[in-house]
Order: sequence, then structure tokens, then C-alpha cells
Amino acid sequence: MASVKDNILSILRVEFLINEDAAKNWRFIVFIVFLAIVMIASSQKADRKVYRIAQLKKEVIALRSSFVATRKKVEKLKLESSVIAAVDKMGLTTSKETPIAIVKK
Amino acid sequence: MEITQKHIVQRAAFMALAMVVVAVLIIVQLFNIQVVNGEKYRLRADRLTTRVIDIPAERGNIFADDGSILSSSTSKYDIYFDAVTVRANVFTDQNVQQLADSLHTMLHESASYFRTKLKKARLNKQRYVFIARRLSYPQYQRIKKFPIFNKGAIRGGFIAKQSISREYPAGELARRTIGSDKMVYGKDGKLYSQHVGVEGYYSNFLKGKNGSRLMQKIGKNKWKPINDNNELEPVEGKDIISTLDLTIQDIAHNALKNQLQKFEAEFGTAIVMEVKTGAIKAMVNLGKNEGDTGYYETVNYAVGTPYEPGSTFKLASLLAVLEEQKIDTATVIDTGDGKYKVYDKYVRDDHHGGFGQITIAEIFEKSSNIGFVKLVQQYFNSKPKKFVDRLRNMHLDKKTGIVIKGEKTPKIPYPTDKTWSGLSLPWMTHGYGVELTPLQILTFYNAVANNGKMMKPYLVSEIKQWNTTIKKIQPVVIDPSIASPKNIKIVQKLLENVVKKGTAKKIYNPDFLLAGKTGTSQANYWKGAAFKQYISSFSGFFPADNPQYSCIVVVYHPKKEIGYFGAEVAAPVFRKIANHYYIKNKIKEPYEKSNVAKKVLQSNYAKAHKIAQKYKTIMPDVKGLPAMDALAILENMGLRVKLNGSGKVIEQSIEAGKKINKQQQIILKLS
Repeated sequence: MASVKDNILSILRVEFLINEDAAKNWRFIVFIVFLAIVMIASSQKADRKVYRIAQLKKEVIALRSSFVATRKKVEKLKLESSVIAAVDKMGLTTSKETPIAIVKK
Repeated sequence: MEITQKHIVQRAAFMALAMVVVAVLIIVQLFNIQVVNGEKYRLRADRLTTRVIDIPAERGNIFADDGSILSSSTSKYDIYFDAVTVRANVFTDQNVQQLADSLHTMLHESASYFRTKLKKARLNKQRYVFIARRLSYPQYQRIKKFPIFNKGAIRGGFIAKQSISREYPAGELARRTIGSDKMVYGKDGKLYSQHVGVEGYYSNFLKGKNGSRLMQKIGKNKWKPINDNNELEPVEGKDIISTLDLTIQDIAHNALKNQLQKFEAEFGTAIVMEVKTGAIKAMVNLGKNEGDTGYYETVNYAVGTPYEPGSTFKLASLLAVLEEQKIDTATVIDTGDGKYKVYDKYVRDDHHGGFGQITIAEIFEKSSNIGFVKLVQQYFNSKPKKFVDRLRNMHLDKKTGIVIKGEKTPKIPYPTDKTWSGLSLPWMTHGYGVELTPLQILTFYNAVANNGKMMKPYLVSEIKQWNTTIKKIQPVVIDPSIASPKNIKIVQKLLENVVKKGTAKKIYNPDFLLAGKTGTSQANYWKGAAFKQYISSFSGFFPADNPQYSCIVVVYHPKKEIGYFGAEVAAPVFRKIANHYYIKNKIKEPYEKSNVAKKVLQSNYAKAHKIAQKYKTIMPDVKGLPAMDALAILENMGLRVKLNGSGKVIEQSIEAGKKINKQQQIILKLS
């Protein structure tokens, strides 16, 4: 009983940190603290990555939507019917003849 | 009271006992939580901090053959407004007015409507006021910058809900052929999946496979993956490359739409097919919307609406006769006075007084119904089975197998059918009593254009994942030879003659030869004269001497008073589609032999060129010149030209002979 009591008292008095051979305990404690810091840091980093991924995903969706919207506009503009309507105001119409390329030999 | 040793021990013992009791209670409770109800609490904790989430697969795109996007998934935004959270110094009268004005420029409602709505919402403390639905990304970017909304979610009360939706960049073009794949509520209130067009048929490739992953909550409503185990990566949807050519589709769409409007028809369809492969280059389906003057892609008539083809079916009848009997198309048939009795019914020709005695070639070119009845009766009256077998050999009784749901089986009656009568054979010869879809008729015409080789029509040429080809779809030959090469050559020539000198001569152009057959069939004729309507069609191919594309145009129920003949209603659409091919394929001519070069020199250009060489600072007379020539001359002289009207110059604001200054404006009035 006495030894258990002594041990508890010894821990409460933090003797393991101040007695003569405390150096090796300190080394272990520093190691544990280091591990804890690494763990916390990596967990924080993983969290940050999740936020970044979410943000990038949002950006991808936005860019994709922007691409499709622009593409839609371009596709509409390049349609022959759009071109015909646009040049109609200038008095131009579609040719009824096939173009003839005159090749100089 | 004196504090004795005994008291201290008693108190300490009491305290110790109390602590033991508390400790025991804690242990009991811990046991209760950990063991008795452990499972329940652990589950609850897991539910709050971890969950399995679905990772939706991205749906693939559908492309046209030139790489244009026909269907893609994009974000849409629903916009709401939180009228409570918005700060008082932001929600000022001036800002509200500006926001209402901005919303008015973007959405349909008036500015006062939005102003009242916003102010009312503020008064009633509404936190979720609807502003706009399904905005595109550029619209969302724009609305975010409006006054008040530009302060963000907390200060400006701006709420945007994003959702993924299917976008069709080509708009109404081939909308029904591209189709859709969605869930719809049936009449019984249950949800059903609806597969339409290419989107529906290739849904399994397009949709990919959703993934899943176990996630842990890390705050701000964000979740992080717990580990790499028990996760399923989503498989992205594949891209579909269709055979549709957006330019041809556009030409066909507008040509058909204009004609439907002109003839106030109910609906119509036009299909363009590549002769050698059977690839569909355009498929237009336009129907009138009730209570609206517009025509829209709502039903796939090309694939799912069989009709009595009328005269376009005569090509099949003629081929059947030619295959059965070695006869010359110069053989004469007496078509009489345009009226021929079969049992108690009359067959009539659309020609006053009839065609009289004409050759087989002419009965085809002039589309004589009597001629066909007599021709087929002559060879098949006693053996109708042989005639129908010939039609069956040409696959006219079978589906084409196109990758669109809803294709109907053709109706080609057989002499053993209960419904077969003495009228069946004669009526069948000119396309009555038989029913085929426009695509089935076109597949047959395409085989004739392709020297007898019948190709299966197809709409998708490739399935891709990014740049990797997953599956290449090759053309499929249904029949390498539906008729003898000799007979195919004969009918090809006759089809060319229909345009050259027959029923379709209105669309004849000696520089660009077309081949085809008109069709004008009656619809609802059994209901009585008042209900009788017409189906006008034209089916053929171009160029006639080296067929590249086959095409069918069918216009249903044009207004009789305006016109109903195939040559008048459907053939011009065919002509416009063919013209596109004609003007896009330039002819190369050596300079020495070129008539065109000579013609050009003789044209107005020569006159314009002369003027341009002579006049530098004095105003020339440009009257009578085409606008573009006059424009070129005057702009080169440094004038600012304004054109009024189109055509040739009839008036010029600066008189000829006057000195001009650089940058002076001149107004040309055109005829």
C-alpha cells in the first residue's frame, strides 16, 4: 500500500521531471509533444485541403457553366440562319450559284 | 463545539462515503452509457459527425459531328432574397429602387413589381423571397452585382441555390432527336423514367455511375473523407458523338419551318442521310403548338409517325415490276381519260383529260396512278403474293432499327391477311393501304441512291471518354443489293427525270441535278370530303449523278386553299437543303477554259473597275452599280458611305463630277 501511495505522491510532486534521471523522461515527453503537434497539423492541413477542394469544385462548375454559355452563344452566331439574318440588313443574300474557283495553271 | 479528532475522522469518513457514492453513481451511469445504451449513443454520435455521401457522376455531353455541343450539364441558379438579414443602411429607398430597375432589365417583370415585392417582404419579415428561377451562369454573375445583392449573403440578403441541369446549346435544332432522359410523374402520380431520343437511348453511357464515401463533419457544413477504405469512386459519364451536322440541321429546320408557316400545315418532318453510310445528318420534326403560331420539336414524326406515302411508294412498285419482269420502260400503257374503275371505286389521275397512252417511264415521271394500277395488275393480278414478296425482299415491311425508341413496324398487307381485298393490290401500287414512317421511306430511297446497297440509318458514330474512344459505331449494311444493278440504274435515271421534266420540274436546275419523287397523298379521306386532308412529300437524293445525300420532306395537312401538291409544298424544302450542298462545293475551273472569268469581265465589275481606276478625287456616277461595287469604289476614295435599302444604286447624295473630300459622307439610295 505504502509503495502505491508513494508512487502517487511521487507523480503528484512531478518527481519524474525533476529527479536526477529525469532527462530521459523529458526526451520522451518532447517526443510525445512533437507527435501531437504533427498530428494536429496534419489534421488541420487535411481540413484545409477539403475546403480547397470544395472551392475548386465550385470553380470548375462555374467555369464549365461559363464555357457552355459562351459556346451556346458562339454556336448560335455561327449558324447559317443567324449569318443570313445578320447580313440581310446589308442587302446580302445567299448565293444561288455554286462558287467557281478559277485555277491558274 | 470543540473540534475533536473524532469529529474530523467522522467528517472525513462522511466525505469519503459521499465521494464513493458519487463515484459509484458515475460508474453506473458510465456503464449505462457505454454498455447498456452504448450502441444507441454511438450510432447517434456517428450520425451527427459522420455520414456516407453520394458523389454524383458527371453526365456526359452529346456532340454534333463538327464538335458543337448539342447537350451538356450546367449549373442553374434559383435566386431568393432574405429581407430580414439585410442591413437597414443597405436596404435604403434608393438602393431598392436601383435593384428593382436592374431586376427589371434582366427579368420580365416591371421595376415597380420588384420594388413592391421587396418592400413588402421587408415589412412582413420574410427570409426567403423568390426572385428568379433557373438563371444561367452569366445571368447569375450579373445579378450578383446588382445593388444590395452585391453586399453578399449576410449584409445584402442574397441567396443563390445552385442545381445541375441539362442545357441544349443548339436550342430548338434537333431538340427531339437529341431527346431527354428524365423522371416524370405519370397519371397515377408515380414517378417514371422517360427516355427520349439519343439522350434516352444512350442514357447508360451518358449517366456514368455515382460514387460514395464515408465523410466526417469538420464544421462550416463541410465534410472530409475519413479514410480511403469503403469508398467508391464515381465513374464519369461518356460523351456521345452524333452524326448530326448542325449546319445542315439549321438549313433543313428553317426551310421546313418557313414552308409549314407558308402553308399553315399541322406538322412536318425532314431527314437528311449520307448515302454511303446511312448516317443521319439532319432530322427535323416540327409541330404546331396549340394557341401559338410557332412550330416546335415536340414529337419525332420522322421515326414514330407512319403515313400512307402515296406516290413516293411508286418507286417500290416500279422496282418490284422491273425485278419480276424483264420489261422495257419504253413499253406503252394506256392510262385513258384519267378515270379508271376498279371494282366499285375509281382511280384518278391529277391531269385534266388523263394522260392517254404513255410509256412506263412517263407514268413514273408524271406520277400516273392509273398507269401504276394497270402496270401492276398486268403482271401480278393473279399472283399478288409475288408482288408483296418483292416489296418484302426490299425490306419495306421491316423496321430500320434506328436508335430511337418508338419506331413503328411498317404496314404492308399480305394476301393471306383477313383485311386483304380486291382493292388492296391496286391501291398499294400508288402508296395507299400501306403505312411507313418517313425514315423507312428514306432508307429505301437511300438504298436506290447507293446503287442498291441498303444502309441502316444511324445517329451516333462514336462513344468517347475525354479523348479516348470507347466504342466506334460503324455503318451497318442491311442488304448489299435490294435489286439488280441494271434496274437500280433505270430507276435512278427515272428519278432524275422526275425533276428534269416530270412532276418536280419546278425545282429543276440544269447546273445541279437532283433526283426524287413527289408524293401527294390523301389523309382522313374515309371520313368524307369535308375532312379530307393531304400529306405532301418529296423523297430523293443529290447530286443525281453522284449521290452524296438522300433526303425526305413530309408536310402533313397543309391548308388546301394555299396548296397541297408535293411538288409545291415539300419539294422546295428539298431544293433548299440540296442547294446548300451545291453552293458549298465549289467547282474548280482552269483559268484558260473558264467561261466564268470571261463573264466576270463582262459584268458590272468591269465597269466598277474602270471607275475606280479613273476617279480619285472627283465623284463618279455610280448609279446602276450593285451596292457592293459602289461601296468598294467610294470607300477606296476615302468617303464614308451610308447605304439605304438593298440592290443597285438608284440615287447618290453627291452628284457626279463634284470634287470630294476625304471622310465626307455619301448616302446611296438602293433599289
